Amino acid sequence: MKRRYACDIAVVGAGPAGLSAAQAAAEKDLDVVVVDANSHPGGQYHMQPLGAGSAFATSAQVMRGKTRVRSAAAAGAKMLLATEVWGAFPGFVLHAQDPDGAVCIEAKSVIVATGAHDRVQAFPGWTLPGVMTPGAAQRLAKTSGVPPGRRTVLAGSGPFLLPVAGAVLKAGGTLVEVVEAQSSPLSTLPLLTVHPDKWLEALRLLSPVLAARTRFRFGEVVVAASGEERVREVELAQLDADGRPDLARRRVVSDIDSLLVGFGFQPQIELTAVLGCRHHFDEGAGGWCCTVDRDCGATDTAGVFAAGEVCGVGGAVPAALSGRIAGLAAAGQILGEETLSERRTLARNLQRARRFARGLNRRFMPPAGLVELLSDETVVCRCEDVTAGEIREKVREGMDTIHGVKLWTRAGMGPCQARICGWSLARLVAEETGNSMEDIGFSRPRMPLRPVPLNVVRSSLQQVNG
Amino acid sequence: MKRLRISIDGVPLAVPPGTTIAAAMVEADRIVVHRSTRLAHPRGMFCGMGICFACLLAVNGSPNVRACLTEVKDGMVVETQRS
Repeated sequence: MKRRYACDIAVVGAGPAGLSAAQAAAEKDLDVVVVDANSHPGGQYHMQPLGAGSAFATSAQVMRGKTRVRSAAAAGAKMLLATEVWGAFPGFVLHAQDPDGAVCIEAKSVIVATGAHDRVQAFPGWTLPGVMTPGAAQRLAKTSGVPPGRRTVLAGSGPFLLPVAGAVLKAGGTLVEVVEAQSSPLSTLPLLTVHPDKWLEALRLLSPVLAARTRFRFGEVVVAASGEERVREVELAQLDADGRPDLARRRVVSDIDSLLVGFGFQPQIELTAVLGCRHHFDEGAGGWCCTVDRDCGATDTAGVFAAGEVCGVGGAVPAALSGRIAGLAAAGQILGEETLSERRTLARNLQRARRFARGLNRRFMPPAGLVELLSDETVVCRCEDVTAGEIREKVREGMDTIHGVKLWTRAGMGPCQARICGWSLARLVAEETGNSMEDIGFSRPRMPLRPVPLNVVRSSLQQVNG
Repeated sequence: MKRLRISIDGVPLAVPPGTTIAAAMVEADRIVVHRSTRLAHPRGMFCGMGICFACLLAVNGSPNVRACLTEVKDGMVVETQRS
């Protein structure tokens, strides 16, 4: 097996953005290598089932993914799967590992298309086994045909709850309730009237959930989960007009074995962060996003482009458009060729797609009052077992950024590097200090971006240093 | 369809092909994967996509394998880790 690659453009992430970027650049006859941590290409959106007989095998999303993968490969893009990037250096050198060890990719340009992950807000009991993200349940169902449990409560906010509900049902699970934090789902109707192309999609997502006569509740949030060794019960409460859980109006749902809670997605910015790109905070786009020139996908680090959710959460349509734009622009830069005319229509469509996404995201923002649920005993950082009380104590002693809190409590210093607790941590520090999320900042990703064995690091360094 | 034979902490399990270890464990109702480092709280799979590292297990003697990303193979010996 080859362990070292030299190419014109390295694309990180084989979802809608990465595949579109790779295809566009490869069509310009450049050497393109796509790297993805998963064993199957497609990203989360085009997730491919592992088994041949899967109920999801012929779904439109899976089939469209296969087409995208084939098109990128036909254009000449090389795909490195089950290959996870853990480091990046200027020049560019990407360090990754696959099941056989270290892989090293040298490239003139890098296109970061690392996507997004569930945005999670901590609450008492959220670390119990059986509590997971909606995305985790979707993966269980789509990759393996297994529901997250026998009796599931799905909660949080945002349109993503619908496909997750559909996937859980299709895999044979029972949804006890779907609980959406927003009180008025009809508020999305005006947005749909100006984007009639989205009606069909909304209908397609709603119909299996309605057919199963799933019970929906609106304007409520999870305030606690409990159970011996695993989740058995969930407590829900109404949100008041200020987005604060009204603990006087609580109810309990018992006899469950799985609880899914998520508030949309947040961009995976680790790679753009270690490459020194600029980021900005945009709550409606998932939080901290990589800042790019929308017309070409260029970041402010020369030679680094970003596409898709990493620049702001918007779904597969803007992701694929921004991927193609970044692929063309990156190729044009290497070839010394002007690609503006090819990008003009794409950029216009991207603007429209992002407008829709922005409108939708704004209607499903995580309620601000959820941070009040964190008692001093609630674990916020799962990796290092750091409680809200320990964090509050350090804030009182003067730590007013996520970085300061990390240094004094180890919150965000574990193997997940604050991917999971980062949002809750920032909200907690914001609540305690009164500072803005911008001022509090994000937990700086450090290499290795993923835990890697020392022998992989050693052989990576040997490859670079000869 | 032919089922694959694996064991989880010594307990034999028959799993259909095309299943992740995490899915096999959920299906077998063995969802406590480890205990947390400081407080020894029970923990299970959480993100399901390889970014939270809550589902680390030893597979065929190799530690720190993510159950959520790893496909079951016939004869796999899966053992839970201490943390």
